[in-house]
Amino acid sequence: MTDPTNDPERILRERARILARVPEREPVAGAVLELLEFSLAQERYAVENRFVREVCPLKELTPLPCTPPFLLGIVNVRGRILPVLDLKKFFDLPEKGLTDLHRIILVRGEDLELGLLADAISGVSSIAAESLQPSLPTLTGIREDYLQGVTADRLVVLDLARILADPKIVVHEEVES
Amino acid sequence: MKWNVGTKIGTGFGLALAILLAIGVIAYQSSVKQTDTAEWVDHTHLVLQNLEGVLSAMKDAETGQRGYVITGEERYLEPYVAAQTASAQKLKTLRELTKDNSNQQRRLDALEPLIDGKEGKFAELQETIDLRKDKAKGFEAALQVILTDKGKKAMDEIRKVVGDMENEENTLLKSRSDEAQASARNAKFTIVFGTIAAFVFMAVSGFVITRNIAGPLQNLTGIAERITVGDLSVKVSANGRTDEVGVLAHTFDRMTQSLRSMAGAAEQIAAGDLRTTVKPHSPDDVLGNAFARMTENLRQQIQGMIEGASVLGSAATEIVASTSQLSSSATESATAVTETTTTVEEVRQTAQVASQKAKAVSDSAQKVAQISQGGRKSTEDAVAGMNRIRQQMESIAESMVRLSEQSQTIGQIIATVEDLAAQSNLLAVNAAIEAAKAGEHGKGFGVVAQEVKSLAEQSRQATNQVRTILNDIQKATTAAVMATEQGTKAVESGGKQTEAAGESIQALAGSVTEAAQTATQIAASSQQQLVGMDQVAIAMENIKQASTQNVASAKQLEIAARNLGDLGQRLKQMVERYKV
Repeated sequence: MTDPTNDPERILRERARILARVPEREPVAGAVLELLEFSLAQERYAVENRFVREVCPLKELTPLPCTPPFLLGIVNVRGRILPVLDLKKFFDLPEKGLTDLHRIILVRGEDLELGLLADAISGVSSIAAESLQPSLPTLTGIREDYLQGVTADRLVVLDLARILADPKIVVHEEVES
Repeated sequence: MKWNVGTKIGTGFGLALAILLAIGVIAYQSSVKQTDTAEWVDHTHLVLQNLEGVLSAMKDAETGQRGYVITGEERYLEPYVAAQTASAQKLKTLRELTKDNSNQQRRLDALEPLIDGKEGKFAELQETIDLRKDKAKGFEAALQVILTDKGKKAMDEIRKVVGDMENEENTLLKSRSDEAQASARNAKFTIVFGTIAAFVFMAVSGFVITRNIAGPLQNLTGIAERITVGDLSVKVSANGRTDEVGVLAHTFDRMTQSLRSMAGAAEQIAAGDLRTTVKPHSPDDVLGNAFARMTENLRQQIQGMIEGASVLGSAATEIVASTSQLSSSATESATAVTETTTTVEEVRQTAQVASQKAKAVSDSAQKVAQISQGGRKSTEDAVAGMNRIRQQMESIAESMVRLSEQSQTIGQIIATVEDLAAQSNLLAVNAAIEAAKAGEHGKGFGVVAQEVKSLAEQSRQATNQVRTILNDIQKATTAAVMATEQGTKAVESGGKQTEAAGESIQALAGSVTEAAQTATQIAASSQQQLVGMDQVAIAMENIKQASTQNVASAKQLEIAARNLGDLGQRLKQMVERYKV
């Protein structure tokens, strides 16, 4: 019995196909955007690399009471206590649920450092700044506000500077005891 | 005056009885008179005897007196003494006897003084006797007295009176005897002539009565005789008589009329007219009631017969049709029987073949019995083999359990490797970020980071493949464990079934032995069957002949049914003549 996954001929052909792929074109000169790709609720997003400090798996999340729903909780990353922001709640995307595969993208603004929750990290890439197309007309509301543009291969690039500058994410709530 | 038969007979017998009674009375009276006369004759003779006695006593007294006077001896006085008492007694008797006769009484009155009176005989005799008692001169004195003739005169007078009395009695005797003779003559005459008269009268009256009653009765008897032989044309007349005979004649007349009306009704019924209704003359009219019931029953029966005749007619038609069918059916059945005979012959040959086959089956059954003995041993071996298989299955199950546990461990290791791959990936990303931050100097490091990332990706894909394979292995292992358990159970049940099969085969061996015996019996039976089939073939030949005869009979039956149909039609016509 031949298992299609174990068929040697097929494996060899797959490898040949991968090797025969035309290498990606050389990064163009001029303004280049370094992006970190990640997936969120089956959609592909990207942020500029200059805001990213590092990525790490989500571990030991401590929920914080009396906070807005988008603030998932706080997390300890090598001694620093950072808030974790759930962009799905922020963007009103469908909730997939918390899994072990969640990752945190640690970003740093001018005076703010926080973690963005992502389903999976795809990797880094660099594209030409000209190739970035303006926002899609279908995206409306809050997502339009935080959108920097869309790449040719339908990658949504978030404008992290505006997100971090947004006064909404500064939690200022009081709870009457 | 109405004289019925009883009165007539009674009158005749009554007159005869009256005549007989008169004769009887006359005869009785005559005999009574004769008896009386005889008594009176005796009486007269007694009177005469006593008179003789008196005279004799007087003579005795005289004799005694004379003796004494003559002799003087006392002993001669004895007759005298005796005569005294005798005469007195006789006189007394005479007076008793002649009490009814005044003449004789008067004469006795005259006689008694002559005997016992002072101047009577006895007084004279006593005187002489007394005189004689003087011995000396007594005889003389007495003789003197006697010589006076006083005694003789007295004696003569006595004799005279006694003679008168005797004459009187004799006269009476004569008249009485005459009277008795006349009476006897009378009686004789009466008996003779009365008897003759009664005989004549009885004869005449008997003749008349007989003539009067028996004649008409004889007449009626003749009529009854004619009625008995069924001649109802006779006329019965009462001749104006109103007695029993007349009533009988009248009743006879009514009877003949009634019978005639019945005969008329019967005539009508005989003519086929059943519409008449016979009314019984009384509730006790047996014949009338019977006639009424008979006509009613006849009416119902004729109606039933009419219906029956029509039913019979249609039925006969149906029978004709049926017999036609029967005839054709018989012909067909004869053909079928011929075919059947052929078939029976074939069956007989088949039975012969079957007999041979049964013999072969019997032999092979014997062989099978031996083989089944071998099968029994084989099942015992199979039971032992099943036990061994069960033990091996148990060891396989243990191995499978261990394999399952180890594949779990492999899964944990794979998870660890996967985790490592993910961390490597993250590290690669971080390295790429750092390289990007380093700018142009970090470019080479970025390529390395890219390679590390692709390695991590490959690791992840490999682990995914391993996990997929491991999942398959785990599923297969679980299925194998389950299958092993089921196999163990199946082996257990197989062992049991093998044992059961052993028992079954043992039973089968017995059954096969029985089957072998049965097959032998079947062989014998089929031999008998063959003989029976021969007989059947002969019987079928007979049936064939019989069915040929059947065909002929069916044709005859058809003809007979047609005749029956004609008969039904005729019967219907006959019945239709009756008016109901």
